[in-house]
Amino acid sequence: MTALTANCPSCGAPVNFKSGSSIVVICAYCRTAVARTDRELRDIGRVAEIVETGSPLQLGLQGTWRAVNFELTGRAQMGHEAGGVWDEWYATFANGSTGWLAEAQGRFYLTFLQKIDRNVIPPPERLQLGMSVSSIPGLTPPIVAEIGFAQALGASGEIPYELTPGRTFYYADLSGSGNMFATIDFSDTPPSVYTGQLVTLAELGLADARAAEREARMVTAVSLSCPNCGGPLALHAPDRTERVGCPNCNSLIDVNQGKLSFLKSLGAGKYQPDIPVGAVAEFEGANYLVLGFVVRSVEIEGLRYFWSEYLLYHPHIGFRWLVNSDNHWSFVQAVAPGEVSDEGNRVQFHGKSFRIFQDAPARVEYVMGEFYWKVEVGEEVLAADYVKPPEMLSREVTRNPPREGSKVETGEVNWSLGRYVPRKEIEKKFNVRLQPPSNVAPNQPFLYKSIYPYWAVLVAILFIVGLFTLVVSGSNDVMTRNFSFEPLQNAEATQVAFSDPFELVARRNIRVQATSAVSNSWIYVAGDFINDDTGLVQTFELPVEYYYGVEDGENWAEGSQSARTLLSALPAGKYTLRLETQWGPQFNAPANITIKIDQGHTSFFNFLMALLVISIVPLGIGFWQFNFERRRWSESMFGGSSSSSSDD
Amino acid sequence: MLGKAYFAIGLAVILLFGASSFLGWELGTPSREVLPADARGPNGYRSFHFWHYGFHGGK
Repeated sequence: MTALTANCPSCGAPVNFKSGSSIVVICAYCRTAVARTDRELRDIGRVAEIVETGSPLQLGLQGTWRAVNFELTGRAQMGHEAGGVWDEWYATFANGSTGWLAEAQGRFYLTFLQKIDRNVIPPPERLQLGMSVSSIPGLTPPIVAEIGFAQALGASGEIPYELTPGRTFYYADLSGSGNMFATIDFSDTPPSVYTGQLVTLAELGLADARAAEREARMVTAVSLSCPNCGGPLALHAPDRTERVGCPNCNSLIDVNQGKLSFLKSLGAGKYQPDIPVGAVAEFEGANYLVLGFVVRSVEIEGLRYFWSEYLLYHPHIGFRWLVNSDNHWSFVQAVAPGEVSDEGNRVQFHGKSFRIFQDAPARVEYVMGEFYWKVEVGEEVLAADYVKPPEMLSREVTRNPPREGSKVETGEVNWSLGRYVPRKEIEKKFNVRLQPPSNVAPNQPFLYKSIYPYWAVLVAILFIVGLFTLVVSGSNDVMTRNFSFEPLQNAEATQVAFSDPFELVARRNIRVQATSAVSNSWIYVAGDFINDDTGLVQTFELPVEYYYGVEDGENWAEGSQSARTLLSALPAGKYTLRLETQWGPQFNAPANITIKIDQGHTSFFNFLMALLVISIVPLGIGFWQFNFERRRWSESMFGGSSSSSSDD
Repeated sequence: MLGKAYFAIGLAVILLFGASSFLGWELGTPSREVLPADARGPNGYRSFHFWHYGFHGGK
């Protein structure tokens, strides 16, 4: 088919089929869906007005994708079973191809119809959240991230299929690595498969789309009255809000296209946010508005643990979360499920391995402010946390029972990535005072591990210096002499002997080694190096003792027939060695001892001392970190051991 | 900050080790004395009280 301009069969106004592949065009005047066939234009019914979603996109907007220009020529609006709507923008490309630009929660997905064997696509009742569908092409088989039930609500512009207002259908969204995204549309038989990827407006050349308008929306709010108490109620994101908690009467209000209706009372002052709803703070270079506050809990071994979450909103970026658990704070954003590979107790995300920390149903306890889904007190999701400090990956799985007469279980799996934010930073951003934490958070980083690379560098330098000194130093023999002593007169007596003068060189340590054939006996040497010119005396002691025997049938020995000591270098000069000796127990027998002196001996003691000194701080910090990790994992369902330092 | 301070101190320790190797310093070397001139004679040394620091060896 080709482009066509004709008149609306309902009101006669002109309708324009710009794209040759368009099947339906919505009359801009009477909102009639006008379908074209080979022969005629047909009125297939009126569609509802498009609900304003605050989208930066609009019909006629032109962009570029992979060097091909496109224009947004149609818009279909779908209703989600959990409340809220999303937009599907029909993109007509200059090369004749067409695609869909889906928009939900501030994220954009560009997909194209795939010509694959659609008969191999499993039916919706056989799909399960998290299962991979290998029949859909991708870098890796994409996984099922959502199985949903939608309703066509409204449309405008041109649509490439026969859109029936109010029609309901099942769909499945799939997510793969590399931001791959796919949708299976079960409204067709066999189902249609669209594949593409998560994109940004900048990648589409649409970064400036309605920027000023969106910026203005950041600072304005729609003022309404609470249907329960009549108090003022300000909606900061009226286009996206599905539920709001009234701050005046603590009631939960349903928001349906601007119409408010009372749902239930939440209990006065049950929980108070540390950060006021409506506050604005900067995260990652963008100012976010605190839109809502929700308290959630999990029950573990009979005890219920609570934490709070703040919904943040930026009209350009979408939604983020600020999570406060035990006075520890994390900034959280959604990640594509296909980017996470589940490996049981570990998951991989962008090359990082995260270890499971908690896995329990999480329940909503309290809400305040605005939310983009129909939040309910008591609603539960299956939540699991995986940590690699300072990051934490969280998986939330929602399952809905099959609708009446259907076997399809809908639901979705959402992954989010939280990054630990120090409390002081939150206090500064929001100008509030917060309670300090008293425990270790699952994703709290250990701040001092940066010392380990420094330690590794220092050890390497030490080894290089040690090797260098080993190479450049050379030992030289100074003297080897045997001293013979006459028997002592009594056990307390000593004998003194002097050596001949000898030369010592400067800046070389002195090693003295004494060797004597002691056998179950000892000889004790007190020595002195005496500088013949200056009288400088360097003393040393060398006990030589060796004992052996048999005890309880086993041989034993201790000591040695030689002993040695290392002394610091002495000033260069001529020295005499004085020895004063005593021995026993055979003091009345003569004694012999050989003294060997050399210089420039390589000393490993100094090296080991240096190694010890530079290792004391890292060892202390290592011990501290061990205890830190032990405290962290003591609060985990999967603690077991604190051998998680590799997770840091 | 802590890491940089630690690295600076560690470098100082390694410099000290290098200096000790270059200058022949040994940890644990007993203190030195200076022998009075009158303890020295042309043929050797007289006994002097500071040499008698006691004996500790043996069983």
